[in-house]
Amino acid sequence: MNLAIRGMSWVTPLGHEIADVWTKLLESEEADAATVSSPISPHSYFAFRVPETAPTHPRLRRSSAISRFAVAAGMAALRDAGLDSEDTARTALIFATSNGGVIYTKRFYHEIVESGAQAASPLLFPETVFNAPASHLAAILGVTGASYTLVGDGAVGILAVQMAADIMRNESIDHCLVVAAEEIDWLLCDAYRKWRLLRAAPSTEPFQKPARGMILSEGAGALVISREGRIILDRIGPGGNFAKRQCAAGLLRDVYAELEAKDASILVASANGTFIDAAEEEAILQKIPKSLVYTAKPALGEGVAAGAIWQVIAASQALLSGQIPPVLGAPRDSALQIPHTRTEIDPSKHAIVSTCGLNQQIAGLSLSKRL
Amino acid sequence: MERHERARVAVIGAGIVSPLGFGLAETAEALRQGHDCVTEVTQFCVEQCRCKTAGQIRDETLRVATTTRLQRSERLHRAARMVICALEQVLTQAPQFQPQLTVVGTTSGGMTFGEQYYRSLRRADESRHTPTWIANYLPQKPIVDAQAALGISAPCQVIANACASGTNAVGHAFECIRSGRYERILTGGYDALSELVFVGFDSLQASTPEKCRPFDATRTGMVLGEGAALLALENFDAARSRGATILAEITGYGISTDNHHLTQPHPSGIGPRQAMERALASADLEANEIDYINAHGTATPFNDAAEGKAIAELFSNVPVSSTKGMMGHSLGAAGAIEAVISMLALQHQFLPPNINFGTGDPELPLNIVANQPRKATIRAVLSNSFGFGGTNASVIMQKAA
Repeated sequence: MNLAIRGMSWVTPLGHEIADVWTKLLESEEADAATVSSPISPHSYFAFRVPETAPTHPRLRRSSAISRFAVAAGMAALRDAGLDSEDTARTALIFATSNGGVIYTKRFYHEIVESGAQAASPLLFPETVFNAPASHLAAILGVTGASYTLVGDGAVGILAVQMAADIMRNESIDHCLVVAAEEIDWLLCDAYRKWRLLRAAPSTEPFQKPARGMILSEGAGALVISREGRIILDRIGPGGNFAKRQCAAGLLRDVYAELEAKDASILVASANGTFIDAAEEEAILQKIPKSLVYTAKPALGEGVAAGAIWQVIAASQALLSGQIPPVLGAPRDSALQIPHTRTEIDPSKHAIVSTCGLNQQIAGLSLSKRL
Repeated sequence: MERHERARVAVIGAGIVSPLGFGLAETAEALRQGHDCVTEVTQFCVEQCRCKTAGQIRDETLRVATTTRLQRSERLHRAARMVICALEQVLTQAPQFQPQLTVVGTTSGGMTFGEQYYRSLRRADESRHTPTWIANYLPQKPIVDAQAALGISAPCQVIANACASGTNAVGHAFECIRSGRYERILTGGYDALSELVFVGFDSLQASTPEKCRPFDATRTGMVLGEGAALLALENFDAARSRGATILAEITGYGISTDNHHLTQPHPSGIGPRQAMERALASADLEANEIDYINAHGTATPFNDAAEGKAIAELFSNVPVSSTKGMMGHSLGAAGAIEAVISMLALQHQFLPPNINFGTGDPELPLNIVANQPRKATIRAVLSNSFGFGGTNASVIMQKAA
């Protein structure tokens, strides 16, 4: 593909500096779960929130959290890549999300339900549109060319990287900024609870049987895809969609085969304490049983679209540092090669990122360190 | 740097579900008749809205139009039913079509399921449908469900670039095949009416209590619509060598972003102009080689002024029409529906009418195809879509030669 990751950044519940968050993960830290209460039901939920100390662009103080996270991560990734405003003329923007601007969408619709259509706010409505965060980011960066918003489930971050690779076939594009973001609201927690995917309280226990559910989180991740960079994007396996949950493992196996994953030193999984874990475990044991398996979701939560980019960043950091953090809450007797302490890896081999979304989409990619 | 041959891109199948009708033949006939399919909204209460009309698809018509068993499943959203219907049409024309990738556009997917969930929550009513609503309201679900129903498992890139989504999807799919990276892609768009979106446009006073009159001097706004359209794209040479029927060729795509305002285009028309210029360059065509423009033409004062200004500056007397007066603005589906309409114009050599047109806007010196269709020699068509967030997209289709 001749593509690489030239810059990266994340805004997570555990912090927003790449090195700082990576060190915390290596040291077995996990984000503090906050209580999210519903104003209209007796339920309360646990979720990982981005600290208020996270950077905010001055133009976005009144914007939705998702836009603030996306802009903070996108701008930091461009800085990390050493790009400035002059480079944006040849930079495409891809924003990925699953749940979108749920806070403003709920507020807007709430007014309609409670007070009727005449109470609907024309100021809120534009912020409910999926591409509102991308619009803010494009305006701040001065992007005047290609700008796309992609929607999907937890695999959408990888599909966005695939789209970046497709766009980079166009030689007039030098860089592609891929940003994925999510925000938390009680409504989202309630929905995932009723979908029977949410855990009542931390900690997440990946690969445990039976699966007891996940903890949602918020934030953003950003990658600058270029033709040169520290991390080589070897292959992307855009996968497909599983019709039934029991078919997910088969599709994951196909993706691992497409990625030629058998020589990988690590696989960064999307395991989050739901049905995903069993699917990934089955596919890993069949295709790459010797690979070390890592998931950051007990520490960072299920960041859905943002979570996929966090996986790519974690895999990149593992290759760059030659280490992988311990997987928190994982079973000691798993057939998988799960590190329970900080573990050295062979950075000359590939790292696989595996994403199995909650809503039928599957994708993956393989990375290696430029030697 | 690696250089790539530019592959040609053929349309080998197309399906359409809109208020104008189901399928290519019905749609072409409705376009020739200039049908006004905008009616009183029946799906939700619009008592407090200024605008009370939309282009709508009757559920019963949708149910009987398809044969897939899943179509009757309670869990399917209306948008998914529309996509299934469009995909069945595509597969009737191209039965062996197995895309390597699917690129579609939408703005709100199964939003009405989200609305039902929220209303049930407010009523403290744990409906048995709640898990279904939650699992199926997400915007990618209609295409994922449609593919599953008809035996396709291609990875789906679902673009949500507001009202430009459908054209962005068709354009990106075109570029993916043109680059040589893919041989076959399913593309298109879908959107079903929802209360949230309807009230949203009403709150902005973008929708009108009157008729939708694109490019008219007295235009007062848009009406919403709904529908789905899909196109099967294939590498032109591969399609021709296996003897496939080629419906049209996609030859150009342009995308631009103007950072003027979240809901309004730059009044200079710079965004639409850049998208059209880039599409022309992509197709290696001069402006005078375009024979018809299917305009975005929402009939809002701002959109039509910006788009009309850009068209008038770039083109000389090219026939222009917006087909939204007939069926409403179907948002994420609009670009795909209008790509199919552009293809029908090429195939049948006629210009679809811009209905409800009374008085030309003196600020916009355009050759509007007013109220009646026209016969014409059409070799190349340009179709525009522009959306919230300053996103602009244009595609060019030509007769397959």
